[in-house]
Amino acid sequence: MMKIIGAAFIIISTTWAGYEASRHLNDRPRQLRQLKSALQSLEAEIMYGHTPLHEAARRLSEQLSKPLSAFFDTFAKKLTFSETTVKDAWEQSLKEIWKQTALKQGEFEIMKQFGETLGRHDRLSQQKQIMLTLAHLEREEMDAYDKQAKYEKMVKSLGFLSGLLLIILLM
Amino acid sequence: MGLEVDIIFKIAGVGIVVAFLHTILDQVGKKEYAQWVTLFGFIYILFMVASIVDDLFQKIKSVFLFQG
Repeated sequence: MMKIIGAAFIIISTTWAGYEASRHLNDRPRQLRQLKSALQSLEAEIMYGHTPLHEAARRLSEQLSKPLSAFFDTFAKKLTFSETTVKDAWEQSLKEIWKQTALKQGEFEIMKQFGETLGRHDRLSQQKQIMLTLAHLEREEMDAYDKQAKYEKMVKSLGFLSGLLLIILLM
Repeated sequence: MGLEVDIIFKIAGVGIVVAFLHTILDQVGKKEYAQWVTLFGFIYILFMVASIVDDLFQKIKSVFLFQG
């Protein structure tokens, strides 16, 4: 009886681990899409709204959903309440929020490089930088989609099957 | 007798699960991992069978050679 309960625990936990990994794969393209739309809104705020950066970031944080809204929220707060450069504030907010997202190191570098250009040029060059960042993110999104289609099912069944194997070996 | 049947089922179970793992890993293009999984499954079973055969030899020895 105890054996069966233990076996059930093992299989539940490994299957759960598999589903968790596949959720991570699922989240990445979704968050990349959100990031892209956030940058597009930022471009609109800068180009057509002439909004100051902290104001634009605050508005973005209201528009977006969970992990990214926190990023723009901390960014806006840092700009409003503390003496810091845009580059530092951007980088610090990125670092604070990065653990909560499903995004990878490549996206982090892209966003960091974008933060270095933010607020240092006139509007037209700023728009060009945003376009460049969007192109980079587009590439990463393609990569994320490929990975999702390829590995999502594999990770799920791998979790279940490895649990099964473990049970048979331990029986 | 009960022990033997148990071990046969165990070998069959490992075989089935390893075959599934091999197919899945093969499908997504991780051929090298698939081969490693199969190899480890094979080695595990080999050790199990070797220990059983060792038991058999010990028994034969005790029956025919060192009876006294």
